Amino acid sequence: MRILAIIPAYNEEECLEATVRNLEATCPEVDYLVVNDGSTDRTREICERQGFCCVNLPINTGLSSGFQTGMKYADRHGYDAAVQFDADGQHLPQYIPIMAEAMRQHDAAVVIASRALVDEAPTGARGAGSKLISALIRVTTGKRITDPTSGMRMYNAKLIREFAHGFDLTPEPDTLAMLARRGETVVEIPAHMEERQGGESYLNLPHVIRYMARTCLSILMFQWFRK
Amino acid sequence: MSLMLRILCVGGSLVTLLFITSNIRRRKVQIEDSIFWVVLAAALLVVAVFPRIATFASTLLGFQAPSNFVFVVVIAILLAKLFSLSTEVSSLKHRLNELAQEEALLSKEEEEDSDARSTARQPNRE
Repeated sequence: MRILAIIPAYNEEECLEATVRNLEATCPEVDYLVVNDGSTDRTREICERQGFCCVNLPINTGLSSGFQTGMKYADRHGYDAAVQFDADGQHLPQYIPIMAEAMRQHDAAVVIASRALVDEAPTGARGAGSKLISALIRVTTGKRITDPTSGMRMYNAKLIREFAHGFDLTPEPDTLAMLARRGETVVEIPAHMEERQGGESYLNLPHVIRYMARTCLSILMFQWFRK
Repeated sequence: MSLMLRILCVGGSLVTLLFITSNIRRRKVQIEDSIFWVVLAAALLVVAVFPRIATFASTLLGFQAPSNFVFVVVIAILLAKLFSLSTEVSSLKHRLNELAQEEALLSKEEEEDSDARSTARQPNRE
């Protein structure tokens, strides 16, 4: 099974190098692609100097589009699975083979690395948001996803194609809901995650409000109509 | 419709037409995208000059005053236009992202090709 780890990077000079080195050392059999999403810091320099496998977007296009770039690469190079992998060091590469094994075993379309299954569910406001999304997915699709906001997800070849050609298909919980409702198999494995090792968090109030509004609206209303 | 409102409408639509023309002259808007505004300004001008159109339509539809009818119609048209601008922005965003992605993937491909060529030329490099 050929696996591509897609590492979207927007101004991640602080920990990109350590993240990629750790991934290379832990999973030499997994290919990776850093998607430099128009960073204004030294992200590009670091990739070039270290000889990382990397594509450079000429402008900042946002996480969804950056991830889609990775999916297009995976599609054109015939990968069997692609995994979302954060540049900030939160995600641990040793779970990638476990996720791949779960995907093979259950013939799953999506495998999520769930913090909730190791009792590390996010707490506070972040946890409340996550629980709300989880509940919405439960109500609208009947499927149980314990950690919908986990950023570490693996997709099979069919979904790689769909993401590569999609319009507004985000690597976010609302897409999970849509896939679950459509009858795709979504599996979770227990996974520990680190604190972010550097870089800036997106967790500011306007962003959170927009994220929650978009996610809830998409799950509650638009998933029934999307093609 | 009162005389004052009619003068306001005539003046407003004339100013709008002038404004659009000057923007086309200064290359701020494409002629294709100005059609909507020209038609809207012209329609407003027609209603201002012949207010009986508005009076007739408003009594027919049960509005209390012709001006209310004009407001409702204009607001509805503007909302529709606003939404169509949102769809246009979405489509532009999508196409811009596609372009950026293709550019990034293409230069990656070129890089891989040239790497492959240089290793092919030096088979005993290792």
